[in-house]
Amino acid sequence: MAQVKATPKTYDVVIVGSGAGGGIAAHVLALSGAKICMLEAGDWYDCTKQSAMFQWPYNAPHRAAGSKEKPFGYFDATLQGGWEVPGEPYTNAPGTDFKWWRGRMLGGRTNHYGRISLRMGPYDFKPYSRDGKGFDWPISYDDLAPYYDKAEELIGVFGTHEGLENTPDGKFQPAPAPRAYEKLFKVASDKLNIPCIPSRLSILTQPLNGRPACHYCGQCGRACGVNANFNSPGVHIFPAMKTGNLEVRANAMVREVLAGPDGMARGVSYIDKKTRQEVTVNARIVVLAASCCETARIMLNSKSSQFPNGIANSSGLVGRYIMDTVGSDVSGYVPILEDLPPRNEDGVGGMHMYMPWWLYKEQKAGKMPFARGYHIEIGGGRGLPEAGQFGGSNYLLGGGYGVELKQNLRKIYGANVYMSGRGEMIPNDDSYCDIDPNVVDQWGIPVLRFHFKFSQDEILQAKHMQETFQQVIETMGGKVTGKAGAEENWGISRGGEIIHEVGATKMGDDPKTSVLNQYSQAWDCKNLFITDAAPFVSNADKNPTLSITALGWRTSEYIADQVKKRNLHV
Amino acid sequence: MSNSDISRRNIFQILGAAPAAAALASAAEDTAKPAHAPYQRKVFNDHQWRTVHVLCDLIVPADEKSGSATQAGVPEFIDDWLDFRKQQDGNEDFAAQILGGLMWLDLESKRLFQTDFASSTVANQKQILDRIAWPARAAAADHAGVAFFNKFRDLTVSGFFSSKMGVADLPYLGNRAVAEWKGADPKVWAIIEERMKNGYKGLGGEVKPMV
Repeated sequence: MAQVKATPKTYDVVIVGSGAGGGIAAHVLALSGAKICMLEAGDWYDCTKQSAMFQWPYNAPHRAAGSKEKPFGYFDATLQGGWEVPGEPYTNAPGTDFKWWRGRMLGGRTNHYGRISLRMGPYDFKPYSRDGKGFDWPISYDDLAPYYDKAEELIGVFGTHEGLENTPDGKFQPAPAPRAYEKLFKVASDKLNIPCIPSRLSILTQPLNGRPACHYCGQCGRACGVNANFNSPGVHIFPAMKTGNLEVRANAMVREVLAGPDGMARGVSYIDKKTRQEVTVNARIVVLAASCCETARIMLNSKSSQFPNGIANSSGLVGRYIMDTVGSDVSGYVPILEDLPPRNEDGVGGMHMYMPWWLYKEQKAGKMPFARGYHIEIGGGRGLPEAGQFGGSNYLLGGGYGVELKQNLRKIYGANVYMSGRGEMIPNDDSYCDIDPNVVDQWGIPVLRFHFKFSQDEILQAKHMQETFQQVIETMGGKVTGKAGAEENWGISRGGEIIHEVGATKMGDDPKTSVLNQYSQAWDCKNLFITDAAPFVSNADKNPTLSITALGWRTSEYIADQVKKRNLHV
Repeated sequence: MSNSDISRRNIFQILGAAPAAAALASAAEDTAKPAHAPYQRKVFNDHQWRTVHVLCDLIVPADEKSGSATQAGVPEFIDDWLDFRKQQDGNEDFAAQILGGLMWLDLESKRLFQTDFASSTVANQKQILDRIAWPARAAAADHAGVAFFNKFRDLTVSGFFSSKMGVADLPYLGNRAVAEWKGADPKVWAIIEERMKNGYKGLGGEVKPMV
């Protein structure tokens, strides 16, 4: 056959990444008629075919224990991801101990995440104006509220209307009733004047758009075999593919955004992991949603004569102001939960109750030693036994062996509880990522080097978590079994450990002090957009995924509108 | 039961998603079949293997509710776990604690009873365990045995109660589809409320009435 010189196809949009941010962009833009190519660095994944739902740890290697390859256990939905990805290293600057989670699979982290879906509140968009720390967002809660509505109605979020300060209610499905130990948490919280309310998770309690309601097996982290919880492939990508407008390429590891002589993005180049060949995708609009730090990495590696410091980086702020969530945990043993009649306490894959931040008034009155707040996540109950069950039982029972030990263990099953704080980190000059000049990954792409530091605000917040949680457990009549003190920095998590990295390409009002405008459009390159957590200006204690979805929806509508107005050369 | 259970057979009707649920149910059934090949030991030698069997069943013996640790496959779990830890940790430190501890048992047994631990009488075996099974009352000289036994007890009870037999013993009643979630069973909550009101003396300590 004679060689035909084909004109390479040019897509309307190329989207890098298929998680919450890439998924919502693909969904909104494919439905608006754009021809899209989506690139995912990991494998194809379909939870309706690959979920490990209903399987038993006793049939799994090492009773389903976590490992370096599978940090959250053998049945966790994550395919090739984790804090370590073979052949894809990152480095830490001296003094930094940052852990960078990657979810290398279609849908990214949405396959296994906790589905906690909290709206940022009005205060969270204007933190600098409130306490003089960090930065204000260029948008307000009212700008994003309609998109929170739409996001909740699309992905399905349960919750209750509470009318609490800076804790906006949403378009909720009914919340599941609390488990017994959660009701006890509420009794103790009430005594301490800590609000304890139904949690807000993107798990269906009623059917939605052909997806069935939850069947309460408690295994959302394994990915749901029937799409009863939110995941990007099942909710965003596969429906978008049905329009015929979305093509998805897996195992496509993006190296850089290509820029034309006019300073506009003209597509991306990626490494096909199966063939190790470099491939170019031409597109009129580029949307990066590779995850906060990976997006910064791609931009910093996209150097050209127009963009010597990386694409859209005239501000020098690409990679700056990365934040994670502040975490600290306390565990306890609660005798009045001993030896209760056995019940199935699985419920949804996560807590049915939680405690939103409550000390706004004290903070405003200057009575708190730190800025910003945290929410409390709780756990306990008669969970699925796997490796490590009853570890350290001697601390509770004093030791023992034989029939008496066996009987005692049956009695203490279900009486352990834990509390985890998830708090706001304020962006700082010492927390950023740049390119390590000496290291590349197995695809030849220069890797990220992390610099990370918590400030006293975060450390004192962890201290407050420790003191509060110990008080709650003691109020339940419980004994604290796991805690951290000053010598352990109050058990504060390592950077990246909570897997809520945000920031790196902050949005703002001024091209000198921000990378993106309020629509997550690059100041320096107007057909380059970002829809993951990189545009975040602050990292409120409201887990990022719902806000990624709402912001991504707003950006995608803006793109469609700009195309319609012929402002984007399409 | 507060929640109605559903067998895998009729999960299709409940979920209304027959193809997806069918694939899942069959996948779960596949792995539910017991392993056929006999277990190939990776760490313990013949003598250690015998000692591990004796020790596991002293820690978790059969009783009226369920079988013993060895009947639940705990020695195999422990042998595999030591190998797993070697691979994960990149060293043999954890295995050394267990193998060294088994040796400590033999040395004590030989010193006291002129025979290794596994060959001793049950009464003599228990005499040694009684010295190391309650850390707070153990003699300082026995600290090596105490540290070992804490680890070995954790391995044994974790292996037992995460086995099929142990899951049924506890019992853990989940890992299944539930038609309607009703939350805490009022009967269970009534017990908790009664304990909150009147106080409770449990294994984990005494709880005063909550005012």
